[in-house]
Amino acid sequence: MQDMKAFLFILPFFVVYIIFTIFPVIKGLEMSLYDWNLVKKLEFVGLENYQKMFGDPHFWRTLWNTTLFVILTTPTMVLLSLGLALLANLNTRFKTIFRSSFFIPSILSVSVISFLVIFMLQPYNGFVNNFIQSIGINMEPFWMDDKVLSWVTIVMVTLWWTVGFNMILFLAGLQDIPESLYEASEIDGATGWQMFKYITLPQLVPIGRVIILLQILASYKVFAQILLITDGGPGGATRPLIQYIYEVGFTQNNLGYAAAMSYALFFILLILSIVQLKNQKQEEG
Amino acid sequence: MKKVIILLVGLIFTAILLGACSENSSSSEVPEGATEVVLWNPFSGGDGEFFNGLVEKFNGSQSDVFVNSIFQQNDEYYTKLITSLSAGEGPDIAVAHTHVLSELISGDLIIELDEFAAEEELDWDEFNQNILDATVFDGNHYATPMDTHALIMFQNNELLREVNLLNDDGSIKMENTPEGFIEFLTKLKEELPDGKIPFAFGSKGGGLYWLWWSYYSQLGGESMVSEDPDNPEYVLDLEKAIEAANYVKSFYDNELIPLNLASPTSDFESGNAAIVSTGVWDTGLFEKSENLDFSPLPIPNVFEQNGTWGSSHTLVLPTSQNADEEVQKAAVQFMDFITDNGVDWAEAGHIPAKTTVVESEEFKNMPNRTEYAEVADYVNFIDRTTYARGLEDIVARNLDKLWSGEATAEKAFSDLETEVKELIND
Repeated sequence: MQDMKAFLFILPFFVVYIIFTIFPVIKGLEMSLYDWNLVKKLEFVGLENYQKMFGDPHFWRTLWNTTLFVILTTPTMVLLSLGLALLANLNTRFKTIFRSSFFIPSILSVSVISFLVIFMLQPYNGFVNNFIQSIGINMEPFWMDDKVLSWVTIVMVTLWWTVGFNMILFLAGLQDIPESLYEASEIDGATGWQMFKYITLPQLVPIGRVIILLQILASYKVFAQILLITDGGPGGATRPLIQYIYEVGFTQNNLGYAAAMSYALFFILLILSIVQLKNQKQEEG
Repeated sequence: MKKVIILLVGLIFTAILLGACSENSSSSEVPEGATEVVLWNPFSGGDGEFFNGLVEKFNGSQSDVFVNSIFQQNDEYYTKLITSLSAGEGPDIAVAHTHVLSELISGDLIIELDEFAAEEELDWDEFNQNILDATVFDGNHYATPMDTHALIMFQNNELLREVNLLNDDGSIKMENTPEGFIEFLTKLKEELPDGKIPFAFGSKGGGLYWLWWSYYSQLGGESMVSEDPDNPEYVLDLEKAIEAANYVKSFYDNELIPLNLASPTSDFESGNAAIVSTGVWDTGLFEKSENLDFSPLPIPNVFEQNGTWGSSHTLVLPTSQNADEEVQKAAVQFMDFITDNGVDWAEAGHIPAKTTVVESEEFKNMPNRTEYAEVADYVNFIDRTTYARGLEDIVARNLDKLWSGEATAEKAFSDLETEVKELIND
């Protein structure tokens, strides 16, 4: 009877979950085995789409671009969000200002932050370049059109935009550390740095792990801000895997191949999650 | 902790609310006794304004048919249209660009119009032949073209006069050769006041594809992929393609076009650029800025023949198992009406598809339109292939490697060839 009641409570969610998540996942697997365009299913091709994927230089190039994004953003995100959380946790009168100002970018939609960035970074009359020139540096950096700078831009924007959420997680972790630990160490004569190193950091490891996992998963799905800011340019230098999947599926009209690549991404994420969770268990055990 | 959670929840709600506000929908009341025709269009901005004006004019002109025009987000327009049509859930009539027609026809998503056209007295002879040709497949008319919207050029008369590069009749002082145009731009660069741009144009994406395509056409290049829907072939004339690409690149190498302009049209609009190349659709925009003394003109035809990039907005009838013939006939009446009233559509800058309209006094009396109406006769529409949409991304991305200095024209086109052949299975 208890189970029955519980079932009724999860039913509404479960129905939606099945229709919009489970069903498309299965349908996607079917699609990846067919030649399939926007209009209809054409013919069964078995593993041909997967075969094609392994020999497709654009698949590897865009997968590398996405991986590069993960490598660049994950460690910086962890450090930055930890730093901001520590700052926001200080008992100063700016506490509320810190907390809200670090978090506010997260509530903006991706198109809003992208247009803000485009507006700030555009050459010749953008705010940033004008500022650089006004302090006497005679340069005209192309933040969104240079192969290297466009990566810098995308990483910075993503950090600024999403750091708030991770900061909140760290902040919650910080506040869960029992005050008694600090009191005890104070009696033992520990310095501020020692407290941070031997109490704060170790206590934050579990939440840090969660943040790293979430960050890797989220970063592998990077798409919208790159599409809007550089459109994958210059010449495909910043094009992430999802953009390639999107182009193959919806403009090149090849949903079958797009589905196959989506599955490849799915497996990469699955393996990363399993490795991460295994590690965690080992250390805990 | 509690405070943090309250803050978080509050912010999330704000985010949801902000998101919800951005959605809008329009649905109009159908008058009693009228046949409702649902139409999908991708027109925003000025185009949207003039298009809705035309729909209202049609609805007001009679009481039998009511066209319910629904705007669909531009970026995802074709994804939405194609998937809806294949699911049988589409509109009764839709706007489509000429380059998508092949894809719609090969998917059996639209029907040919000849029978209805004959019944409703839609006369194909009234249309411009070059535009009409882009909508005829195997001798059948599959779409009613509303316009052609081509890549043209705009000149800032004030700036040109200042550096003495304007003839008395308002034309620019230049020799119509590849070198002549470069020479003209170089003079501009040397003599314009500081901070003024000789030639405003973007440095990446679709716009450059159009400019390259224009010069490729002027050199006699015709297409990239052959039309055969079953066995398309890669037919790019490499020599001409490279020549055209290097010509465009020389604008950047000689700093006639500053690199990476964020918004070339705004630069021109604010009077900071002497020349800009953009679509006819910006004519209406430039007319709105009061202090701008400008004239439109075709892209200078500097090579062997006249040519420019262009596309055309057309109206199509979707295939539907349970199509109501009344509705389809009403839709064709609307097509005839909207093309007859091409002058209203020309307000946005587009060149009307009907020759009868272009030759009318009303059109001839419009300022800033007749200057470039001739391009309708020589616009080179991009390839009619089911792969047209995918092709656009590939060409633009590979050409970008050239402008950004990452590859030579030879390398860019060899990459492009590999990718296009992969796309079309040639």
